[in-house]
Amino acid sequence: MNGLPDFPRTEVWHPLVVHFPLAILLLAVVLFLAGIIFRRVFIENTGRLLFVLGTIGGWLAIITGTLADAVVSREICDPTVLETHETNAYITAALFSLISVVVILDYFGFLNRIKKLSLILLIGLSLAGTAFLTYTGHLGAKLVYQQAAGVYTPSEDCREFSK
Amino acid sequence: MKKHSLIISFVAAIAFLISCSGDTDVVESGTYKGEIQKVKPDETEIYVSTDKDKTLELYFTDETELTQDGKMVDFSELEKGQKVEVKVEKVGKRLDPLTVKILE
Repeated sequence: MNGLPDFPRTEVWHPLVVHFPLAILLLAVVLFLAGIIFRRVFIENTGRLLFVLGTIGGWLAIITGTLADAVVSREICDPTVLETHETNAYITAALFSLISVVVILDYFGFLNRIKKLSLILLIGLSLAGTAFLTYTGHLGAKLVYQQAAGVYTPSEDCREFSK
Repeated sequence: MKKHSLIISFVAAIAFLISCSGDTDVVESGTYKGEIQKVKPDETEIYVSTDKDKTLELYFTDETELTQDGKMVDFSELEKGQKVEVKVEKVGKRLDPLTVKILE
């Protein structure tokens, strides 16, 4: 390659987007559980709001991830890691989507008769979601730092940077 | 009782989700016959289940030759359920399809 590749390019949108839901959803779980443990409704509700925002971001990450997939799958040495990353990302998004649905239904009072049950469900789902989210992130990091997925490798003499 | 059934359903759902992961195989370079499981036109990608119960995930490259009755055809000719013969080259754990022949 003679010059530097475009930035941002198709496969770069995913890392630009993905860290927002990653941080928001983990923070949501922490605040939600802290709110329950320390009986602080405001903190718990902040966690609930972040679940919904993080889930929207999660699906944006999946859309951009699918775009990146089409580019990097032909370049990396072990696409099975990418496949597992994708599958776990869908599972994570499904779990947090379910959480968001429960949160929204609860907000509008549809779950008033099963308040305790929905709380147990939310706690279970958020713990499972965190596990899948962490593993998905771990696989994403492996793709980048072991296989340079979506990463441009400069020439040995860095000539493209001297123009 | 209600709580127990909720927990059992929850654990079963998680187990199901976990079982969904890791569904493709890596094989040695060579020629394989099988059936197309899935076609992803936007990614020019196909999944082929071979006669030996392996699922190959194949991303077409610029060099991939797709033929039917000895003639070159477009990717859009590929459909789920078609019998194909694929010649693949294993690069690391990536399978590059060199040729794909539509057999029917």
